[in-house]
Amino acid sequence: MPTFYLDDQPVDFKQGETLLQAADRAGIYIPRYCYHPGLKITAQCRMCLVEITDMGNGRGMPRLQASCATPAAENMRISITSEKALNAQKTVNEFQLVNHPLDCPICDQAGECDLQDISFLYGTGRSEMNYEKRVSGNRDVGTFLMLERNRCIQCSRCERFSRDLVGTHDFAVFNRSHEVSFDTYGDHRIVHRFQGNLADLCPVGAITQRDWRFRKRAWKLKKTPGVCTTCSTGCNITLDSHQNHIYRISPRENLQVNRWWLCDEGRINFRGLNYHPGSSGPGAGPGKKTPRLEEPQLKARGKARDGGWDGVLEALAPLLKEVAAAKGSVAALADTHATNEELFLLKTLLAEGFGSDKLFFPLQKGKAELRAPAGLEDTFLYSLINTDKSPNTAGAQALGLKGLDGPDALKGALGGKVKIMLVLGSPWEDDPIAGDISTLADLVIYLGVGGNAWSKTADVVLPGFTHAEKYGSFVNRNNLVQRIRPAISPPPQARDQVRTLCSLLGALDREANHADGRDVLAALGAAEGPFKGLNWEALGDGGMPLPGKG
Amino acid sequence: MAQEKLLLLKNIRTKGYAADLAAYRAAGGYKALEKVLGKSQGGMTPAQVTEAVKASGLRGRGGAGFPCGLKWTFMPADPKDKPNYLICNGDESEPGTFKDHYLLMNDPHLFLEGMILGCYALSCHHGYIYIRGESMYLIHRVRKAIDELYAEKLLGSNILGSGFDLDLTVHPGAGAYICGEETALLDSLEGKRGQPRFKPPFPAQAGFNGCPTTVNNVETLANVPFIINNGPEAFAKLGTEGNSGTQLVSISGHVQKPGVYEVEMGHNLKSLIEDFGGGVRGGLKLKAIIPGGASSPIMRPESIDIPYDFDSVMKAGSMRGSGALMVFDEDTSIIELANRTIRFFNHESCGQCTPCREGTFWLKNLIRDFVDNAGSEELMQRVDRVAGSILGNTICAFGDAAGAPMQAFGRVFPEEFRKHFLR
Ligand SMILES: Cc1cc2nc3c(=O)[nH]c(=O)nc-3n(C[C@H](O)[C@H](O)[C@H](O)COP(=O)(O)O)c2cc1C
Ligand code: SF4
Ligand code: SF4
Ligand code: FES
Repeated sequence: MPTFYLDDQPVDFKQGETLLQAADRAGIYIPRYCYHPGLKITAQCRMCLVEITDMGNGRGMPRLQASCATPAAENMRISITSEKALNAQKTVNEFQLVNHPLDCPICDQAGECDLQDISFLYGTGRSEMNYEKRVSGNRDVGTFLMLERNRCIQCSRCERFSRDLVGTHDFAVFNRSHEVSFDTYGDHRIVHRFQGNLADLCPVGAITQRDWRFRKRAWKLKKTPGVCTTCSTGCNITLDSHQNHIYRISPRENLQVNRWWLCDEGRINFRGLNYHPGSSGPGAGPGKKTPRLEEPQLKARGKARDGGWDGVLEALAPLLKEVAAAKGSVAALADTHATNEELFLLKTLLAEGFGSDKLFFPLQKGKAELRAPAGLEDTFLYSLINTDKSPNTAGAQALGLKGLDGPDALKGALGGKVKIMLVLGSPWEDDPIAGDISTLADLVIYLGVGGNAWSKTADVVLPGFTHAEKYGSFVNRNNLVQRIRPAISPPPQARDQVRTLCSLLGALDREANHADGRDVLAALGAAEGPFKGLNWEALGDGGMPLPGKG
Repeated sequence: MAQEKLLLLKNIRTKGYAADLAAYRAAGGYKALEKVLGKSQGGMTPAQVTEAVKASGLRGRGGAGFPCGLKWTFMPADPKDKPNYLICNGDESEPGTFKDHYLLMNDPHLFLEGMILGCYALSCHHGYIYIRGESMYLIHRVRKAIDELYAEKLLGSNILGSGFDLDLTVHPGAGAYICGEETALLDSLEGKRGQPRFKPPFPAQAGFNGCPTTVNNVETLANVPFIINNGPEAFAKLGTEGNSGTQLVSISGHVQKPGVYEVEMGHNLKSLIEDFGGGVRGGLKLKAIIPGGASSPIMRPESIDIPYDFDSVMKAGSMRGSGALMVFDEDTSIIELANRTIRFFNHESCGQCTPCREGTFWLKNLIRDFVDNAGSEELMQRVDRVAGSILGNTICAFGDAAGAPMQAFGRVFPEEFRKHFLR
C-alpha cells in the first residue's frame, strides 16, 4: 500500500482516498464539519486544513489544503500540528462561532456536538466577537424534525443528503454570506421515511428529532450496540438508555448493512421497548396501549391461577410428560422476531421431547418496499426498508423451520387438532388464528412479551424478554449473522425465553441448561449445522456471514 | 503627452464608427477568421492558433493574469465522448472595472471574432457568453451582433466553407459578484445557485455540465484577432517582459477624465493617472490609489511610480487585477473606503466557506467601530488578524480578494485608523 506521512507518522492509503479518509482509517482524527463519509465532498467548512510540506515530489504547497478533499499521494508529508495548520484550525473554528448562539445549556446536541467538542479542543473560552449575531429563528420542518437555524453552521450536509441520497431536495440554500440559511422551501414539510438521519448528520443542534428533544442530556446515555428488528435488513443500531429507559435508537455504522443510516420506523421502535409496570410495553404507542406481560400464568381455561414461575412450571410438567408419553401430537408456531437460539431450542424441544417436526412460522415475502425517485444516482437508502417486517426470517429458514403463507396453510400443515401448541412470539397475531386456537389445540403454551390475542387465549402464558433485554442473534436477509445484547433489564418476573425453553426441556428430562443466548449459540456453533463455527464473541459488532452461505 | 497604444480600441477611437458587422469588416474585421478558416491563405489548424496565442505571451485579463495559450493546452485536443466548451466571462462585477462593458457595447465584433477563433482553437462547437444580467442593453447588443453573424454565415454550420460549425449563446447572469468567479459562473450557467466549486477538478477536466471547459475574459479574447493577423511576435513585442500586449485600464474616482484607456502593458502607473486620467480633479492632492479593482490592496502615492503590469504591481505589494484603477483625493476617508469595501465583500460572499462567510461579517462590524469613532489599537490588530485568517484558507479567490485589501488599509494607512480611535 502506498504511504504518506502525517506529522512524520506513516499512514497507508488506498488509491483515490483523500488525506482525511486515510487518516480516519488509521485512527488519526482531523477535525471536520462538512465532511461525512456518506456524502459528496464539498470542502467548504475549512476545518480540516492541513499543511502540506511535501507533495511527494519534494515541493511543498504554499497554502493550507482541505484534507477532506485532497487526494493522498505517495510520500506526501503533511502536518495537522504545525503552527500554521493549528492556527488555521483555531481561527476557522473561531469563525464558526461568530454567529453561533452558544446556547449549549438548552441544546439537545450538547455532549455529542462536533462544534462543542472542537471548540473545547481549540477554543480560548473567551470571545473576541462582541457584536450582535445573526438571528434566524426556529422552524418546524417535518413530521420528525425541528430546525433551529440559529445553531446552523452551514455545513450543507442536510442539503446534500436530501439531494443526493433521498432525492427529495427538501433542504436548500437561501441567501448569501453570513445570512446563508439552510431551510426547506416555503412551508414545505419533510415527509420521507429517512428524516432522522438528518438529525444525526447535522453536526450541531440545528436539526433535532422531536422524539428526543428535551428528554435527556446526551452524556448520560449508556450506549448498547444492537440490531434493528423492524425489518429483515437488520440495520445496526445503538440503543441509548439511561436508568433502564431507552431514549433513542440511532444508526450504528456498518458498511455491509446500513452504512450510516436508519429509517424512521427503526428509530421509533424504542417507544415500545420501555417497560413501565402495567402501563406500556411492546406495541405500546400513541393510541395503542398493550401491557407488558409481567407474571407467568396457568389458566384453567379462562381463569388465571397465580403460582409464580415454580408453581406454573410444576403444574405444567406433568401435562407435557403425559402427552410425550402418549406420543400425542404437538406443534409449535414461532414468529421470526425470535432469535436463532430460541428457535433452535424450540426445535430441539419439539424433536427430542415430542418427536415432532411441526414447527412453522409466518413467511413474509421480502422485497424493497420503496422505489427510488427516477434519476437518483445513489439509491442505496431506498433498498433499506424491506417488506419482511421481521429480523430473522433467514435464521428460521437456516434452522429448517417451515415458513407458511397464512392461517389456512397452517391449518393444512397441522393436519387436525393437536394436543399441545407451543407459541413463541406473536405469529399471525392479527389474523383470526389466535382467536380460533381452541379449535386447533387442546393446550396452548405462549412465550411472549406483550399482552395480545395470544396471551388472552393461551392456557399457559410465560413472559419473556424483548430484544433490548437479551442476548441472541439474528440472520438478516443477506445471510449476515448479527448479535444483540441487553440494553436494559426486563420486568422482574419475566424470564429469558432461552431459560424458559430450557425448563420445558428439563420437564421432559432433557439436559439443557443454558444461561442465556450466548451459551446456546456456542452449542449451535459447536454442532454440525448452518451455524457451525460461530459463537457470540466471534460475531463481533459487525456480524459474520452465515457459514456456507454468502 | 503620452498617447494611447491602440490595438483593441482602434475602431472605437475612430469617429463615426458604427460598430455593426459592415463597419467592423470595413475596418479590416474578420480577416483573422478568414486567415484561419478560409481557403485562400491555406488556413490554420486549431493547434496552430493555440500555439500562436501561447507564443504571444497573452495573459488573461480577467484578473489573475494566467497565460491564455497555456490554459488552452489543458483542454483535450480531440474531444470524443464529451464536447469542449469555451465560455466567455463578461460578468465584470469587480468594483471599478468597466472595460469589458466598453468593448462589448462599442465594438462587439472584435470580441466575437476572438471568441470564434478561441472556439476553433479549442474544438468547441457551442460557446457561451455570460454577461451580467443587470446590463440588459449589453446583452441585446451582443445578441444583435451574433444575429448579424448568423445572417452572414459567419456562425452556424460550415463557417467560411471550412467545415467548422459553431453556435454562440448569450446567457444573462443573475446579479452576483461571485458569478464572475469561473466555477461559480459554470454553476450559474447550469442553472444552479452560483457557488464556486472546489478544485480539482479544474474546468479543463470537468467544467460546464462536467465537460472540459475554458473560461476567458472578454478582453483576453478580444486580443486574439490581432495576434492571428500580425503574428505572435508583433504582440509579444508590446509591453514588458512577461507582460505582453496592450491593456485596457478603467480609470475611475477623483480624476478629471475617468474612462477606459488603452496603453501598453507596463505603462507607468503615475502617468496613467496624470496623462490619461487628467490628474486629480479640483486641484486636490492624491491620497491613495487602488490599482486593480476593489480586491487589490491600496497604495500610497509615493509607491506608484512603477510600470503598470501584472508583475510590477505585484512586486509593489498590490495587484493589477482587472486593470481597474481607482483614484482617491486627499479628502477621502480611508475608513469610509474600508467600510464600503468590506460591506461589498460581506454582501457578495457566497457563504459556503466559514472564513469568508463569517470573517467578512466580523470585519464589517469591526470597521463599523472605526466609522463610529470607537476604534482602538486592539481592534486594529484584530482587523489584521481576522482578515489574515481568511487569506488563503477558502475555496475560491474571493477570500483573498476580501482579506488582502482589508489588511492593506490598516497596514498602508495606520494613521487613518488612529484618527478613529475612541477618545
Ligand atoms: C471573486 C471573483 C470574481 C471574478 N470576477 C470576474 C469577472 O467579473 N470577470 C472576469 O473575466 N473574471 C473574473 N474573475 C476571474 C475568473 O475566475 C477567471 O479567472 C477569468 O474569467 C479567466 O479569464 P482570463 O484567463 O481570460 O482572465 C473573478 C474571480 C474571482 C475570484
Ligand atoms: S442545518 Fe445542520 S446539517 Fe444543515 S447546514 Fe446547518 S449545521 Fe449543517
Ligand atoms: S471564498 Fe467566499 S465566495 Fe469563495 S467560495 Fe468561499 S464563501 Fe464563497
Ligand atoms: S471537513 Fe474538510 S472542508 Fe469541511
